[in-house]
Amino acid sequence: MTFVFAFALSGLLLIGAPYFAHRLRRRRAETRPFAPTLLVPPAPPRARRRSDLEDRSLFAIRALAVIALALLGASPFVRCSRLSLARSSGASVALAIVLDDSMSMRASGASTTAAKGHGKTRLARAKEGASELLASTREGDAVAVILAGDPARIALAPTTDLAGARALLESIPESDRGTDLDGALALAKSLVLGMPQVDRRVVVLSDLADGKPEGAPLGEGSSVPIWNALPELRSDGYDCAILRADRASLRVRVRVACTPGAAASSTVARTIGIYLGDKLLVEGAAPTSATGDIVLTLPQAALSSGEPPGALIARLRGTDAIAIDDSAPVVPEAAAGSVAVVVEAESETAATGGAPVVEQALNALQLDVTVRPLPQIPDRTDDLGAFVGVILDDPPGLTPEERRAVGAFVERGGVLLLALGPRAASPPLGASLAPFLGHPVTWETTTSLGADPDSASGALAESASGLRNLEAHRRVILDPLDLSAFTPLVAWSDHAPLVTRRTLGRGEVWVVTLPFALDASELPLRPAFLALLETWVDAAHARTVPRRTVVGVPWTFAGARKITIIGPNGEELPVPQDATPLRAAPSLLGLYRLDVDGRTESRVVQPAPREVDLRPRKLAVAAAVGAFGENHGAVDASPFLAIALLAFVTLELALRVGAGRRADRGLAVAAGSGRA
Amino acid sequence: MPAPAPSLRQALDWGTLAPLRLRARLVAEGVYAGAHRSARRGAGVEFGGHRAYTQGDDLRWLDRRSLLLHDRLVVRQFETETDRALRLVVDATASMGYRGTRAPGAKLAWAAVVAAALARLAGASGDPVGLTYFGGGEATRSVPVSAGRDAFERIVGSLESATPGGDATFDAAVVDRALGGIARSARRGSIVVVLSDLLDLPEVAADRIAAVAAGGRVVVVVELLDPDEASFPFQGTMRFEALEGGSVVETDADVTRGGYLEALERHRTSWEKALQGRGARVVHALTTDDPLKAVRAIVLAAR
Repeated sequence: MTFVFAFALSGLLLIGAPYFAHRLRRRRAETRPFAPTLLVPPAPPRARRRSDLEDRSLFAIRALAVIALALLGASPFVRCSRLSLARSSGASVALAIVLDDSMSMRASGASTTAAKGHGKTRLARAKEGASELLASTREGDAVAVILAGDPARIALAPTTDLAGARALLESIPESDRGTDLDGALALAKSLVLGMPQVDRRVVVLSDLADGKPEGAPLGEGSSVPIWNALPELRSDGYDCAILRADRASLRVRVRVACTPGAAASSTVARTIGIYLGDKLLVEGAAPTSATGDIVLTLPQAALSSGEPPGALIARLRGTDAIAIDDSAPVVPEAAAGSVAVVVEAESETAATGGAPVVEQALNALQLDVTVRPLPQIPDRTDDLGAFVGVILDDPPGLTPEERRAVGAFVERGGVLLLALGPRAASPPLGASLAPFLGHPVTWETTTSLGADPDSASGALAESASGLRNLEAHRRVILDPLDLSAFTPLVAWSDHAPLVTRRTLGRGEVWVVTLPFALDASELPLRPAFLALLETWVDAAHARTVPRRTVVGVPWTFAGARKITIIGPNGEELPVPQDATPLRAAPSLLGLYRLDVDGRTESRVVQPAPREVDLRPRKLAVAAAVGAFGENHGAVDASPFLAIALLAFVTLELALRVGAGRRADRGLAVAAGSGRA
Repeated sequence: MPAPAPSLRQALDWGTLAPLRLRARLVAEGVYAGAHRSARRGAGVEFGGHRAYTQGDDLRWLDRRSLLLHDRLVVRQFETETDRALRLVVDATASMGYRGTRAPGAKLAWAAVVAAALARLAGASGDPVGLTYFGGGEATRSVPVSAGRDAFERIVGSLESATPGGDATFDAAVVDRALGGIARSARRGSIVVVLSDLLDLPEVAADRIAAVAAGGRVVVVVELLDPDEASFPFQGTMRFEALEGGSVVETDADVTRGGYLEALERHRTSWEKALQGRGARVVHALTTDDPLKAVRAIVLAAR
């Protein structure tokens, strides 16, 4: 409310004028000299009350007229923040609305005084702005909605169904995602450029806090005009968040990240407490740096050994812009995954001076796994439960027990790396590589010296050039009937698969048609071998159950048939059933409880560290200027107010005329009686 | 709502009744002004009959011939042409200065027109005429009884200079001063015309006026009211201040109109009873009435 508007509205004070005039008139009744005053009886109280009622109706009409008049006078000064599209040529507009649904948009208010104090979150204001933009669209305009929460995604493909777009805007929930403005703008521009309209625009409704304040200015060099429609959303606060709280025994390590510079500017030192329910167990001072860890030791007596996951909560005390990230569940510290390596020691003819070459390679890679050499293939499923992957180097087939154990391991999400060699091609009676390979393999002489680098894909493509000559004279040939189930990653120069993979259940089977023995080939000596192991370990990690992920990173459930995910808000996280494999993208922070094919597990979603940085990204000048629309407009309610005022005045006149006629009739009667 | 009346205590609101002299002549010319025979019997030239002698009769009229012939004491009576003095009594108290919105002038102005017209009629008949007031302003002066052409001029001059004033509500002397001289000096057959609104007069006023009629005088009381006083046309909450007596009443005029009219009727009835019971005659008039008709009504009432 501007001063001018408030001043204009001060006319409303006149609402009391009819009342005071009435009071004054009543208090000072019209005084007349009248000779026969002694003959005039005083008014009885009942008559006075009736007169009051009649006066009240007239007073109400007059008060309403005064209100209408005051509002009519003030209406030219009413301004409201309302977005609308400007049309320079009157043509249809292709509009891509980039709506930021990241966690920073949960902050309430806005940076400008006019927008503060409404109690709305920035996301709510952005959605209002989007709705206002949709309201200003016309027939023939096309609208697309892109959500800038990480990862950027298309919420609404370009459409002329404006009603559907409005419904979609209403259904966009708040999330705790990070911000991917670059990706959202790229998506928006690609969508807009594909529209037939000549007038194309991208509207950004964001606080611009994408964690990259030093990044290139938004909208710079864009071929499509980008309009920052709500600059008042530009963030200016600071935030601190608990990124993770891991517990090992009685020690809890809490990692806190803050907006850079926020800790220095904050005058109140913040503390971190560990709570069991509402009971504070331990408390310590929060780190003063932008990102830091604090280790708190839980009291022994305060804990029982069997508290469920999420029972302990780490809370950051104090206030900041975003409250949702000030607490996090404490979960047991995730142990590094283990990889079982089964290598026939007798096959290692080369003098390696220690462990088999594959073990040495895994250790050399310093991956986040523990290498566990096994003397033989486990024949019980439980024995493989602790591993994320199993490497079998030239196994002589698998016995039925081994097949059942390893098969169950893969079916449940394990990743198996089979390096096939001469022993795999000549298994003993009763042994086979089923269910991974349905047919026997053969160990044959090859004329191909190595792999075709061009056939490599994924992470192996970069180092595949080193596989041109593997000095391999023999190799394993897979049965063509089995090849159809596999996806080759690297192929021999004669197109036979060198490294191939297939999914089986929730797990994967990787097959290498050379053993990892140095006397069979020089594969273990090539950099691509390390790349192969690293890629395989990544796949193994991806297949395992991650205890902690960053918000927005989708969970993949390969092979799973039925998944139920209960989010931290108690609501079920939707899992699209038509996707293969099943995927779910958590958008809220906190503890999730999953039921995957009957097996329950818990996962924790933590905030993206960059999202804590609320410093806004710079804007290209052209994008900040509202040349493509307006975000302020006058509210022209004067016609309605004028009609209302006219109606009130007419009604007031009608009442007075009616009262006058009644009085005249009374006078006529009185005059007649006076003559008599 | 009616505009507030001007200050009634200071000057007379003539309204459309001015000028008084011209107005009075017009009114008087419309009234039959024939000579009237005196009903009084006494000294004269035309024999009027005999009657038995009573103690105290003038011995000059003793019929000696009848005494000698019939041995009876009888006196002779004669009819004679005689004047009938007109005594005008005009109420000039403050209440007579009231003028409503529908009236052509103040009550005192209307009364002045009628009084002047009556004076002219009396002058035309050769009857003496006098004028006294109930109350009145400082310039209000009574006119002694006199006849002739100058009498009318004096009466008119007095009426023109009269201003309403004085409070007679609780002051019986105001009435006594006006009527006392008439009661003492007016002879039988004199006509006394009282022009008053009969409002705010002391309680003894009715008796005093009626007493004048007891001496063989003809008393005509003209009750003069403003139309507003007769119909009470006011609306809404009103605060009435009496012109005399200082009473103030705040009331809802729409509601109390009926009660006022009933009280006014009772007031009129009580006056009529008091006056007519003693031989006085009452004529009702409003200031909106034609003064000519009022004068005719007064003349008729005085016969």
